[in-house]
Amino acid sequence: MMTDFTQEPNQSGVDTLTQSYQDQWGALDQIEEASAFVQMMASNDLIFVVLGVSLIIWLVLLFFLVRVDRKVSRLEEMVDGSEPANQQENQKDNSNPEEAIR
Amino acid sequence: MTVVITAGFLIRIPHIPILEESARNLFLHVPMWFTMMIAFTMAFYFSIRFLNDEQMEWDRKAETATMVGLVFGICGLLTGSLWARFTWGTWWTFAEPRMNLSALAMLIFVAYFILRSAFNDPVKRAKISAVYNIFGITTIPFLLYIIPRQLPSLHPGAEGNPAFSDLTAPELRIIFYPAVIGFIGLAVWMMDILNRYKAVKYRLEIEQI
Repeated sequence: MMTDFTQEPNQSGVDTLTQSYQDQWGALDQIEEASAFVQMMASNDLIFVVLGVSLIIWLVLLFFLVRVDRKVSRLEEMVDGSEPANQQENQKDNSNPEEAIR
Repeated sequence: MTVVITAGFLIRIPHIPILEESARNLFLHVPMWFTMMIAFTMAFYFSIRFLNDEQMEWDRKAETATMVGLVFGICGLLTGSLWARFTWGTWWTFAEPRMNLSALAMLIFVAYFILRSAFNDPVKRAKISAVYNIFGITTIPFLLYIIPRQLPSLHPGAEGNPAFSDLTAPELRIIFYPAVIGFIGLAVWMMDILNRYKAVKYRLEIEQI
């Protein structure tokens, strides 16, 4: 199952890593001893790994959005404190991160 | 730009049953690093522009570009770690040069923001961080491309050829390139939002003084 990912044995003489890690590439061989979470992830041809990867990216981007949102609200408070002339600009900034989600 | 991203996401899901298993990660993990590289190149350019004419605009842009690049780099590290768990069998191995050197590269840019927070005077901060940024970004090609290809490694592309050679099917490219473009577009958009935010904030601060 994992052979698609295994590299050819390294031809150069200095290589020691390929040998020492060759057994580690067969991660699924020892999967029975692993925890329930790892077993679940490894089922269905590793599709859950793809899910996990996309979830990681999504969560990091979401974190980024929340941070920008908070910064913009602080800016809004600053604008409300001073004059209304800049408010239009500010709202333009604010609407963007929310549109990104949809 | 949004259309490109959406298309990238829509095409991605139905098309893939080419290589079973986690080969689909190629569309997510690899564009992260491409995007990071583009963002850092932009930061490099903006830092040089700042040292050239000392407009604060370039400093703001350099900071945002570095921040977005760092966000994508951290994404790439986390996804790579998860992927490695199920192909190499370990979350992290210190014998894998590419993994550790990219983590080191991320630390260089975390240090960039720590350096920025150490100064109160904006002009001084902008100058020193621009110099640091130029210095830091020149290390990136060595850390991410040259050294990992010289050392034996589990990561594809370790033997001097790019990762696209024998591990991947040619059909993957159809989805891979739009995904790269989509993520780069997303990064540029994020930078744009941040830049506008910073420009408005800068103007407000000037008015208040």
